[in-house]
Amino acid sequence: MTVDTPVISCRNVWKLFGPSPRQYLAAMPQGLSYESIQADGYIAGVKDVSLDVSRGEMLVIMGLSGSGKSTLVRCFSRLHEITGGEIIVEGQNIMELDDKALIDMRRQKMGMVFQSFGLLPHRTVLDNVAFPLEMRGQDKHDRRERALEVIKLVGLEGREEYFPRELSGGQQQRVGIARSLAIEPDIWFLDEPFSALDPLIRREMQDEFLRLQEMLGKTIVFITHDFDEALRLADRIAIMKEGAVEQCDTPDQIVLNPATPYVRKFTEEIDKARVVHARVLVKPLNGKAPEGDPFPAERTIHQLARQLVNDTRDEIPVADKNGTLLGAMNRQEALDVLLGTE
Amino acid sequence: MSCWGQSDMANIATDMSDGSTGLSKTRIIQIMIAVAVLLTAAKPILPDFLIRLPEAWIPPMAVWMDAIFNFIIDDLKLAVLTRWIAEGPLEFMLDTTANLLFGKRRWPNFEPIPWTAIAATAAVIGYYLGGWRMALLAGGTFVWTALIGQWKIAMQTMSVLAVAAPMAFLIGLFLGIIAWKWAWFDRAIKPILSVLQTLPFFTYLLPAVIFFKVGPTAGAVATIIYAIPPMILMTTLGLKKVSPEVVEAGKMAGCSKWQMLRSVYIPAARTEILVGVNQVIMLCLAMVVLTAFIGMPGLGAKLLAMMGSFKLGRSFEIGVTIVLIAVMLDRMSKAWVIKLPEHFERGTPWWKRHGYALATVAAFVAFVLIAQVVQVADHITRQQSFTQGKELDNLIKGILAIDAIQAVTEWLRWFLNVWVLIPFRNALLWIPTSAFILGIVTLSYYLGGKRPAIYAAIFFSIVALSGWWDRSVITLYAVISAVIISTFIGIPLGIAASRSDKWSKRILLACDTAQTFPSFIYLIPAIMLFGVNDVAVVFSIVIFTTVPLTRYTIEGLRTVPAEMTEAADMSGATAKQKLMSVQLPLALPTMAVGFNQAIIFAFFMVIIAAFIGTQDLGQELQKTLAGTELGKNIVLGMNVSLMALTFDLTIMSWAEKRKKALGLG
Amino acid sequence: MKTTALLSAAALAFASSTAVFAEDSSDPIVIPIHNWSSQIVMSNVVGQILEANGNNVEYVTTDSQAVYESIRLGDVTLELEVWEGAFGASFRAALEKGGIVDAGDHDAVTREDWWYPMWTKESCPGLPSWEALNDCAEVFATAETGDKGRYLDGPVDWLKHGKERVEALGMNFTVINAGSAAALWAEIGAAEADKKPVVVFNWTPNFAEAVWPGEFVEFPEWVDGCDKDPAVGPNPDALYDCGNPATGYLKKAAWDGMEGKWPSAYKVLTNISFTNPQIAEMAKLVDVDEMEPEEAAEAWLEANPDVWKSWLSSGS
Repeated sequence: MTVDTPVISCRNVWKLFGPSPRQYLAAMPQGLSYESIQADGYIAGVKDVSLDVSRGEMLVIMGLSGSGKSTLVRCFSRLHEITGGEIIVEGQNIMELDDKALIDMRRQKMGMVFQSFGLLPHRTVLDNVAFPLEMRGQDKHDRRERALEVIKLVGLEGREEYFPRELSGGQQQRVGIARSLAIEPDIWFLDEPFSALDPLIRREMQDEFLRLQEMLGKTIVFITHDFDEALRLADRIAIMKEGAVEQCDTPDQIVLNPATPYVRKFTEEIDKARVVHARVLVKPLNGKAPEGDPFPAERTIHQLARQLVNDTRDEIPVADKNGTLLGAMNRQEALDVLLGTE
Repeated sequence: MSCWGQSDMANIATDMSDGSTGLSKTRIIQIMIAVAVLLTAAKPILPDFLIRLPEAWIPPMAVWMDAIFNFIIDDLKLAVLTRWIAEGPLEFMLDTTANLLFGKRRWPNFEPIPWTAIAATAAVIGYYLGGWRMALLAGGTFVWTALIGQWKIAMQTMSVLAVAAPMAFLIGLFLGIIAWKWAWFDRAIKPILSVLQTLPFFTYLLPAVIFFKVGPTAGAVATIIYAIPPMILMTTLGLKKVSPEVVEAGKMAGCSKWQMLRSVYIPAARTEILVGVNQVIMLCLAMVVLTAFIGMPGLGAKLLAMMGSFKLGRSFEIGVTIVLIAVMLDRMSKAWVIKLPEHFERGTPWWKRHGYALATVAAFVAFVLIAQVVQVADHITRQQSFTQGKELDNLIKGILAIDAIQAVTEWLRWFLNVWVLIPFRNALLWIPTSAFILGIVTLSYYLGGKRPAIYAAIFFSIVALSGWWDRSVITLYAVISAVIISTFIGIPLGIAASRSDKWSKRILLACDTAQTFPSFIYLIPAIMLFGVNDVAVVFSIVIFTTVPLTRYTIEGLRTVPAEMTEAADMSGATAKQKLMSVQLPLALPTMAVGFNQAIIFAFFMVIIAAFIGTQDLGQELQKTLAGTELGKNIVLGMNVSLMALTFDLTIMSWAEKRKKALGLG
Repeated sequence: MKTTALLSAAALAFASSTAVFAEDSSDPIVIPIHNWSSQIVMSNVVGQILEANGNNVEYVTTDSQAVYESIRLGDVTLELEVWEGAFGASFRAALEKGGIVDAGDHDAVTREDWWYPMWTKESCPGLPSWEALNDCAEVFATAETGDKGRYLDGPVDWLKHGKERVEALGMNFTVINAGSAAALWAEIGAAEADKKPVVVFNWTPNFAEAVWPGEFVEFPEWVDGCDKDPAVGPNPDALYDCGNPATGYLKKAAWDGMEGKWPSAYKVLTNISFTNPQIAEMAKLVDVDEMEPEEAAEAWLEANPDVWKSWLSSGS
């Protein structure tokens, strides 16, 4: 498998809830709306979704409650059986796995963090974290060592013998995170991990999470209903509504070019300059010679604001970290992002 | 009361919307009442079969039952299997606990454990679970038992309890898991559990003897069967309540099915399962005393013997021991439910981590050693015991002989017998069977709706067909009389007590005690106060049925949401207005549960009251115990159960509807 | 206490070992215990005698009616108090079914009939004659019986035919059935406080004699067939127009496999025979002196060695 093959790839995935969803789906005419399906007594949890998640990428699935985002992520790990379509994880069609192979895949490759933590109340922090290791039959000494390692990683050292009820919400979620990391999964699912936390703690946990991701470089599917959080964390965002994906793109693109009115509603209140990077505004030089010092491509427009206002050039060259020239961005266009178009 | 009107409106509305019948519910009820009254009034000209079913129509149910059982016993050879269980593993376990606790000469042939060792161990465990107070209760109970001279009989009871409770727990847990896993099993087992819970205990006893040999084995089996239903229900409930995220976390951790159950579901359902354990222990203790009737030695047997030789004081002392043991086991198991594991910092030495276990072992070993040299620490002889049997005898007799009390009971006996009970009974017996059944069905329909009414019709028809109609009516008469009287006592008492925290607590404690006091001790004072007649019967039932009525009145009133009473206060309601138009209507569904329990208790107690002297089903049931009339025993038990279930279904469905209408739970 | 009993039992067993049949099984002999004191003590006495005989013994609490079924099945080995009146019917039924044998009578006789505590005589001086009782029927009246006298009979299933007798003899009494022996005692106990006159069902030998002195009502004397042939007895048209037999039997019964399995013990059982005073003495030890049954049995055995040792030695 090359690096370029997606880790998770799903094609036309359907998940219907109702009396006999498979027959219904088979007989259903194409392009039926969510409402019509509902009128027939079915709920479209996931509606014809196709997505790829590449290695090392963080895909954030954003949507309001009932949009099907949690259902979709549960299809990826086959906590839900899908009604139609196919899901390939690491080259394996997961619907074809038998019980044992599925358990094996979860034991070796997947970790998941839950909104209300899903901790086992009768186990200590240490035993909770070691739980997946225990399930796969690792010996007691090894799993203790590994559990202590991840506990340290999430900053809960010294709390190993506490019970979940003795910890704050943020600490409990650190346990949840530690548990999901214990088996060193390749794929990491996080289902609204910070939604149950206070705003201040949430911010702190997001930073913590970014730090971890920096270190670990996992393939991540992250669920949230908070657009700011999505923008802050995501490599790419998939916005869901009524079971379907409205738009799936990088934060910059979503902010700059919302695909539907629904997506636009989210982007309207956003300070675009803090999201959009210089890189995305770059246009090819077409043989023109760049004038003066290039702007760094990895900075947001907001970070470049001062220079941008003071600069007088119409076309400003942009270069990446290595100094390679990528092209030039139009100053007016950049100022529009910064100040908004009236 | 306004709520009745509302509930009618709601019912009418739903019935109208059904559109299945052209008649409104009220009209149907009016017609049914009219027919019932007509049937009663026209009794002189009614054809005989409407008054009482003719003998010839009554199918020989008892004979069929006997045939079924004979088939099971003789042809299926099931008795061979049950006997093997009884004489093999079950007897072995009972013998082992019997050897350890009171020195029965069986494997492992130890001397009995000294009482001080057991008391000390209990005290340490009590301290672990609930601090000094629990330690005092646990240790004190055993000290009392030893000092009062009941150690051996109490240990005989405990030795059966020690086998029956864990067995009931395991079987209940297992069946509960199956019922949770497979919905069809759940559906199949629910009605069986309802029947088991309303079946008179005499009906458990006889089959137990036939299949499992007279003595502790049969007693243990009857006890286990009696205690299983709540364990099944609590297990299923607990497993259903496990949070889906915990389940998913388990799945994502790669649990196999067995790992899921063992490491995720059962530990996460711990609270409900432990509540089930508490109920198992309490029911086992209640039943293990009653199994004295089929030869279980111990506290129950001694109590029966004491009552048989008119030793009130000693009976009372045994009653106190049973209450103490019950309260201790109840409180300890409840403390265990809420007890959460403690954490130790890393590096805590092992003896500190296991401090309580060590203290328990140390206390045990120390007292076993002491008992080797100090006789009193090993066992208390009769001369050393502090029993006050004779003094208590005289005290009780003295109290009952006080002129004022006698005058009151004399009057009550005359008034209730001559003016209330006997006329009421005769009236019920006079009503033609057809009108009676119609009346019950109408009541079920009015309160509970269509389903309960259909069940009422089926159940009471079976009772009529069983050929025990008159005795069933007499049973019902005692139940109804007692429940009505206890309503007059329990509800005002509950209302009065609910006004202050302190009194609520006290009255609830009294309720607990009254409920655990072995029911048949009440019989002797009842007879001494009122003589052998229906007043004594009703009185002894009333003691038992007032408890749930009081308890649920208090609970119902005290759980009325604060905003509602505050709203009433702000509207300028007087205390009485608030009670009548806010608190009682809202508490009514809860009180209905108490009412329902009172009826179930009454059906339980009326059977025991056969010991006073009745002409009802209980008397016949008691007779069957002496013989081998298994079929008759089961038919009689079934009648009691069917009548109780009719009321249960009706009242519970009413309470459900009210709760929904009021938007509670 | 217990150890001394065991020691003495062992010593006796040794002493009388020549008398013991070698083939007596070492399985325990199961002796039933019921809920009245004389039977409990007697069972313990016999148990200790059998232990002295070298047998293993075990006690099991059982219902006094159901025990006959248990004996037939061999769950219980023997029964020491088969009362003619109370258990005759169950015993005969079991005999017919097979599996149980009659192991002989005690010397003691039993009597069951209408009875009153002594204080009743003050309000009805003509007692114990039944005619005198009938003459002062209104003394026994209560609220619910109107002007008729109230007679508290034993539980219906004891089949005492109180109602039939009242009708046969034209008595002015209403018969009420108590539900249990305890109910009878409670009624007497309640009457004791202000010496209310009562007439109830009672029997002898029984602990009640020691607690409440009293007498049986003298009915027309029992004649065989009084319960089967209307012509017998004073009323030519009715059954049950006599008192109960004043000298009913008190039997022992055994499982029919006992003789084969424990021949020596069976021999001892057939030898055993207690008298009324002996039984009353046993009951007194428990009921009045408040001893535990095992102690009472030991005390009795110690006080009466000449009575029971002969049962052992004649075993050979």
